[in-house]
Amino acid sequence: MEAKKTPLYERHLAAGAKMVDFAGWLMPIQYAEGIVAEHLTTRKSCGLFDVSHMGRFIIRGGGALAFLQHVLTNDASALDIGQSQYTILANASGGAIDDAYLYRFVDHEYLLVVNASNKDKDWAHLEEQAGSFVDVVMEDVGSDLAMLAVQGPQSGAILEALLEKGSLPPDKRNCLSEVQIEGTKVLAGRTGYTGEPVCFELFLPAAIAVDLWDALTEKGAAPIGLGARDTLRLEAGLPLYGHEFGGDPEGREIPVFACPLAAFAVSFAEGKGDFLGKTALVRQARALDAIKKGDRSCGDILPRLFRQVVILGRGIARHGDPVLLDNRLVGHVTSGTMVPYWEFQQTPKGVVLGDSKGMRAVALALLDHRMDFGQAISIRVRGKDIEARIVHKNLENRKGPISYAVLPK
Amino acid sequence: MSEENLKYSETHEWARLDGDFVVVGLSAFAIEQLGDVVYLELPNPGDNVSQGASFGLVESVKAASDIYAPVDGSVAEVNYDVADNLDLLKTDPYGAAWLIKIEPGDPSQLESLMGGDEYEKFCASQVDE
Repeated sequence: MEAKKTPLYERHLAAGAKMVDFAGWLMPIQYAEGIVAEHLTTRKSCGLFDVSHMGRFIIRGGGALAFLQHVLTNDASALDIGQSQYTILANASGGAIDDAYLYRFVDHEYLLVVNASNKDKDWAHLEEQAGSFVDVVMEDVGSDLAMLAVQGPQSGAILEALLEKGSLPPDKRNCLSEVQIEGTKVLAGRTGYTGEPVCFELFLPAAIAVDLWDALTEKGAAPIGLGARDTLRLEAGLPLYGHEFGGDPEGREIPVFACPLAAFAVSFAEGKGDFLGKTALVRQARALDAIKKGDRSCGDILPRLFRQVVILGRGIARHGDPVLLDNRLVGHVTSGTMVPYWEFQQTPKGVVLGDSKGMRAVALALLDHRMDFGQAISIRVRGKDIEARIVHKNLENRKGPISYAVLPK
Repeated sequence: MSEENLKYSETHEWARLDGDFVVVGLSAFAIEQLGDVVYLELPNPGDNVSQGASFGLVESVKAASDIYAPVDGSVAEVNYDVADNLDLLKTDPYGAAWLIKIEPGDPSQLESLMGGDEYEKFCASQVDE
């Protein structure tokens, strides 16, 4: 099957993109500047990502909410108009079929954004489940709606300058609004996959994708490819399906609660009711609580948990590399690479990014639940053991408007 | 893309006979294909290398690739400067970004490698795939 092109294909080529086939789409892995420069640009100014390859489904009808409550792990009934939430399509054993974002822009319908690589599988699963519900209409809007991510400290100002009507969503993660740009209605959400505190994702008619892209780049937004999208999310410790969800490096299903973000994606609230995978997920949540309290008795339910790791020795840990403690296998790396960062200064007014860059190797690893933060570990990289450490985070991004590196002391 | 007096391997190393030594580096095509190089691992002087076997490692953000020796021999000199200044791989791949000098066991092994024209054709065929 021939790879599909987003409406921005020609723009990618014009910007010097190296194109690759990603989940059946011809997508830019990087532009002329390269992954390292793109990563740094996003952290300091504004990165522009074509994410029109992602799966996008509209779900509407009288039964839509009840259906979503059944197939998704988060509490969709808690979403007011103008809000979105991270959520998971769980299976009966408490693993993830996919992770996703649910947007409620208007009263009568929901927009579900899923991974491009899982889109067909998700659609088939949702269609099958929808059979048990009355008045649920699903529509694949992937080819009508383009999707752009605008991420980084300057992205708010750049978008602001293009607004003709409406205002950007309130400055709080997951808030949404409707605006007019290029004479057209654009849906905007404070969401993203870079770890940037200032972040937007835009949904717009495919017909104006090129005009909006041009307007954004003219204002200074820099095109960023899938390569930097991956390094940015990894530095921020964000999970990627196929690495941190799905199967682990030993071929076992990863329990959803192994991932720390699960706490934000799974709801056992009263209004949520029963849902697919709930029994297994309740068990996992209880096990996680016990583990946090030092009780290891239900360790078999969550034998391993995701931790962020910084590599201290020379080398780069990669997906599948074994992690060792005192020569004993305690888990595996699920994602790893070398990422750049801006040197920075702490000033009375906050952190100021400098002009020189550093590099460090970071990773996400699925590790024995007894492992603690700060613990020294070894990672076997191509037969050689290199020194690494479990950290709380590799990126500080809670203070905004900029994020900056958390470096090993 | 390539320089006249160099020989090339199918794994994209270049080699040049320089007096008694064979100087080895990575071709501009290899660097272009790798994208941003973020890590380079080189051998130590005195290490033995053999034709077609890995003597080092070059890593981009996306992946790790072995670097293979174009001839048998022992490592006479290592250019650690390039490991500290990876931009050299892009800016001067056939000059300042040389990686190692090999004292070859059999310099005639160089003749089994490709010349510049042949290598260019080889690269073109790789891109088409």
